[in-house]
Amino acid sequence: MDYMAVVIIGCALVTFIPRVIPALFIDKLDFSPKVDKFLNLIPYTALAALICPGVLTVDNQLWYIGLIGAIVAAGLAWKKVPLGAIVILTVVILIGVYSIVPFF
Amino acid sequence: MSRKDKFIDGCKKGIPITFGYVPMGIGYAAIAIKAGMTPLETISMSFLVYAGAGQIIAASMVLSGATAMAIILTNFVVNLRYFVMSTCVLNQVEESNTPLNILAAHVTVDESFAMFSLSEDSSIWIYLGIAITAWLSWCLGAWIGVVILDILPVIVANSFNISLYALFVAILVPAIKESRQIALLVLVTAVLNIVLGQFLGNWSLIVSTLLGAGIGMYIVDDEYILGGDG
Repeated sequence: MDYMAVVIIGCALVTFIPRVIPALFIDKLDFSPKVDKFLNLIPYTALAALICPGVLTVDNQLWYIGLIGAIVAAGLAWKKVPLGAIVILTVVILIGVYSIVPFF
Repeated sequence: MSRKDKFIDGCKKGIPITFGYVPMGIGYAAIAIKAGMTPLETISMSFLVYAGAGQIIAASMVLSGATAMAIILTNFVVNLRYFVMSTCVLNQVEESNTPLNILAAHVTVDESFAMFSLSEDSSIWIYLGIAITAWLSWCLGAWIGVVILDILPVIVANSFNISLYALFVAILVPAIKESRQIALLVLVTAVLNIVLGQFLGNWSLIVSTLLGAGIGMYIVDDEYILGGDG
């Protein structure tokens, strides 16, 4: 097989296998309340780890671009703006921020 | 609600994800094409591997001439977090069976997992609606990318980069607003990930996610946790 085929199929397998293992065994497991609590906490901690520090690398040169974006999104979410609108508004505001960066 | 209604409801819930996925998919395609991958290879990777960061790293490694084995191993490490996310999702879903679970597992990514975990309804059909919408928009992005080829201006591309983070923040903020304990847990995990990142590199995300949840066992009261049977 050629190089790209090996890369694609190999990556597909090593990504699919960990994802699918829970699908095959989850029905046979009955988690205790403690394990359930642990699993239910993971969304919060996973999101925290995904955002921080990754958000600071949105722009490779200007770390504060991502920070501004995160603050804007948090502010909008705090005001209960719908999810889709938050994403679009944050992108538009960042394009706005970029347009004034050259003046500083 | 019927299954079909739930699925369509899930698709609607998935729309905010597409705002981030189409542009990010285009960005991935730009790197893949630059690395010499054909349009077919570029799109089939999105369809078969379906891992945002994993694919972008893989395409960058192809560009820098890495061996197939190094690329596959890196993908394994970067994508191992889906094991945790898939476990969480499948522990939460209702009205499911094994074939549906397998499909659900393949379309489990950070965004579908996050959107579903913190939503009220736990039907598999809602989840499949969210996750398949996201999956197809990711492939659509790659397709648009290989067709237009021209790389977007850097400023516009960087501004689109924020979209997924904006989504993560927007999903997390209501929970933080609701509970100081969750807010504290989020802060602790964020700091943990920054510190561990210095030593663990790619492993840091999954390690701090699990350590954070372990710490959460002690600092968060049961009543503040959404999802599951809780």
